[in-house]
Amino acid sequence: MNSFADRFATTGTAAELRRIKEYVADDEDVSDSMWGSEAGFGTMAHGAPDFMVPSVPDPAAFLRLHTDDHADPSCRIKIKHGTTTLAFRYKGGVIVAVDSRATAGSYVASGTVKKVIEINPYLLGTMAGGAADCQYWETYLGMQCRLHELRNHERISVAAASKYLSNLVYSYKGMGLSMGTMICGWDKTGPAIFYVDSDGTRLKGDLFSVGSGSTFAYGVLDQGYHWDLTDEEAQELGRRSIYAAGHRDAFSGNTINLYHVKEQGWQFIGNYDVSEMHYNGPTGTQGYGYSVRVEGRSSANPPV
Amino acid sequence: MPDGSYERPQQRQFNPYSENGGTILAIAGADFSVIAGDTRQSEGYSIQTRYAPKVFRLTERAVLAVNGFAADGNMFVKKVKQRLEWYRHAHAKDMPLRAIARLIQTMLYAQRFFPYYVYNILGGIEEDGTGAVYSFDPVGSYEREACRAAGAAQSLVQPFLDNQIYFKNQTPAPGASHPTHLPLPDVLSIVIDSFTSATERHIEVGDGLEIYVVLAKGRSTQELASIGGLQELSTRAEGDRMFVIRRDLKKD
Amino acid sequence: MDISFALTGKGYVIVAADTTAARSIVKMKSDEDKIKVLSPHLLMAFSGEPGDTVNFAEYVERNLRLYHIRHTYALRPASAASWIRRSLAESLRSRSPYAVNLLLGGYDTATHTPELYWVDYMGTLTSVPFGAHGYGSYFALSLLDRYHDPEANLEEGLATLRRCIDEVSKRLVVSPGKYKVKVVDKDGVREIEL
Repeated sequence: MNSFADRFATTGTAAELRRIKEYVADDEDVSDSMWGSEAGFGTMAHGAPDFMVPSVPDPAAFLRLHTDDHADPSCRIKIKHGTTTLAFRYKGGVIVAVDSRATAGSYVASGTVKKVIEINPYLLGTMAGGAADCQYWETYLGMQCRLHELRNHERISVAAASKYLSNLVYSYKGMGLSMGTMICGWDKTGPAIFYVDSDGTRLKGDLFSVGSGSTFAYGVLDQGYHWDLTDEEAQELGRRSIYAAGHRDAFSGNTINLYHVKEQGWQFIGNYDVSEMHYNGPTGTQGYGYSVRVEGRSSANPPV
Repeated sequence: MPDGSYERPQQRQFNPYSENGGTILAIAGADFSVIAGDTRQSEGYSIQTRYAPKVFRLTERAVLAVNGFAADGNMFVKKVKQRLEWYRHAHAKDMPLRAIARLIQTMLYAQRFFPYYVYNILGGIEEDGTGAVYSFDPVGSYEREACRAAGAAQSLVQPFLDNQIYFKNQTPAPGASHPTHLPLPDVLSIVIDSFTSATERHIEVGDGLEIYVVLAKGRSTQELASIGGLQELSTRAEGDRMFVIRRDLKKD
Repeated sequence: MDISFALTGKGYVIVAADTTAARSIVKMKSDEDKIKVLSPHLLMAFSGEPGDTVNFAEYVERNLRLYHIRHTYALRPASAASWIRRSLAESLRSRSPYAVNLLLGGYDTATHTPELYWVDYMGTLTSVPFGAHGYGSYFALSLLDRYHDPEANLEEGLATLRRCIDEVSKRLVVSPGKYKVKVVDKDGVREIEL
């Protein structure tokens, strides 16, 4: 597939990938034998892994032709899309809340997706866009964060970790990666959130929501947000906002996963069924649903 | 063209993908795992063969089902098996199931810019003796689940599984609760029913059915005794055991 | 892109619409009234294709006025909504259809009930407790699911509308600057400064 000439060419996709590899390559040399069979991530000790690229003039266009379901709904390889994720910073740490639906076209491919990626005990990443892109690169980021710890005897900052990911995906720009993620954690500077996407955007902020249902989540989140929320209020706001998106956006729903990042690291708060939240709410006493909430209330105003 | 000819620049499209139909399915029990697939292989409305296996034994306790583009699928299984053999030579043991799952992710993701058009379902027994199912998308995102259907009839089979395995939209009798894991005979009947029904309603499903059953170490094989078309694949009676059940499906 | 909101409360409907009239990247006007008063107890916010909007709104306005003159009483909100919907549906099937989306807020003086109808250019009509058109709906609908109260008094209703407008100003890239707000209740229609 890749000819001899390709291997030494200075232009074209192969050369581009070679440059990417050089860019992210580590200074340390770990031989293959150290990894035995090289199972799992063995090959990655050298930096970014190798990628097979089709021998066509424009590999990105080739990939788009066969995978992009917006360009062509009948294309064969359906990469899962559709999501609502959110994270916000407040005085008690960081709240991370996500839905769990994965769709391929209009088919609900899964209702149990883990869209929060536990990078390490102090770092969380969220998943929006290509499921595999997020899962793979954030796992890879976790390995690099561990290597940072071993080299520097100190945990990586959220800023540095997110910058690493941002630089990495930016080096693949135009190749068709699709991810919109929030890297959340607690470091020496306190709670921190960085939004990183496959365009190469990296933003520091207090409050973000990403995905097809993000506008609906923002609608509830912005109105209920302030810095001095209690832990219970903050968790409720995160859960309520994802519910709102699950209710209004067809590509989001099924269940809510809620995480809380504190100084001692992240903590999983719970998994909540969106329908259950609609009718009964988290405590089983008051449902979030509009019709449930306004049951028995009427706007009619007959004279008394 | 200026010279009066009708020649135009030639355009070629490179389309190395096809779709070969069929359906695969896997269900995890407490201490067993069942992985099944039909054996019909088709392209468009033509049946290429009535026996093309889609389910493959990887190790003593791991089975991989592949669906989608058969050529990619067969190549992928071949490469996974090769990597598992290398692992055996390096470590003198079989790769654990969760490690195989991660291996499959990296192998699929290595093809991120030229994907294998395959949907994988990995089933087997974990190191702790529990039954497990992992499902993958073509570029390697994966998740451990209790059950999963993929392929042509996934939209017919998965809702049935959701109802029968996860008890979705079923309310338990007052005071009772749904079991977390079903017994093996129940799972086997659900698998068989799934495929007979999918055969009825989907033109790309049928001909034959192969059901792989992996039992955790020390588990009784009693429940399999009465099953027809059963064949044992395990080489040792101690350790995890593997069986295959071959059945006919309608051929029209 | 026009943005309009409407919500019901105890004995009233609030209808709000932005006041910008834009063409291409230019704001042509920033005090345009996009809410028509159709009858003593009926309001209509209209948005959509420039040209179609005002023409259709005036067509509706004149016909309902004619009905009022002929019969000495105005159509009740539900009947007016049906007639307007049918006009749109017939227009849709003509050579040059109107591309206009509507929010119809009325007060039925016979049943003492505020009524709100969401209507789109395809002729979809649905009765709702609150509604929105345009990009604002992506932010406001979830917010209204959370904060709307059918028994809210006017002050509370306006506070909820304020939330919608603030949210859109905060999040929408091309958010409009000003809104016109009108209310209909048992006393008829009136404009309100937020």
